[in-house]
Amino acid sequence: MHSGLAEGQVFISEFKVTENVYNSFIAAFNDKNILHTDDSYAQSKGFKSKVMQGNILGGFLSYFIGEILPVENVIIQSQTIKYKNPFYLEEVLKFEAQVTHIFESINSLEFKYIFNDQSNKKIAMGTILIGII
Amino acid sequence: MNTETILGEVNKIFRDELDDDSVRIFYETVAKDVDGWDSLSQIHLIVSIEKYFKIRFTASEIQRFKNVGEMCESILTKVNA
Repeated sequence: MHSGLAEGQVFISEFKVTENVYNSFIAAFNDKNILHTDDSYAQSKGFKSKVMQGNILGGFLSYFIGEILPVENVIIQSQTIKYKNPFYLEEVLKFEAQVTHIFESINSLEFKYIFNDQSNKKIAMGTILIGII
Repeated sequence: MNTETILGEVNKIFRDELDDDSVRIFYETVAKDVDGWDSLSQIHLIVSIEKYFKIRFTASEIQRFKNVGEMCESILTKVNA
């Protein structure tokens, strides 16, 4: 495999949940659940404000794989995500991914990743398997 | 551990990865014998097998396996190494 990546290699980035990200997600997928759109309702359920759609993080993961990794020809083969805490509009999430396993036999790499908020509270974590095509 | 034991463990991995408890694999089994064993599921099968047995195949090894049994023999060799 000639990905140039090595087991243990770490990638660190930050992603801001901007109005544009939020509005674009709603425009694309139409998830306007009241928890995601009404601050008062979200606060009545114990949240700080309206809760962002969890799958916004999937978009950030897509950007990480497609644009941050120094490998052009990649395809996502599987992905897991566990949500630990809600995240909110205008938050800047800290992202860290590490190459945990290189499968030379099938030209694939596995990453574990984590999103934290600025106070290092875990937002979500999981694994991604990508193939070098 | 012997080839039969390995085959049994690999069968469990196949059932889990293909989400089909009826899958039965044998020494002579090849991809066309198993519903759902396509190129993408093969990736997930290999990932699970390498992780479960804590081994690593090479690309050329994968290409040389003529059937599941040959793969199990390779697994046995690697776990005993």
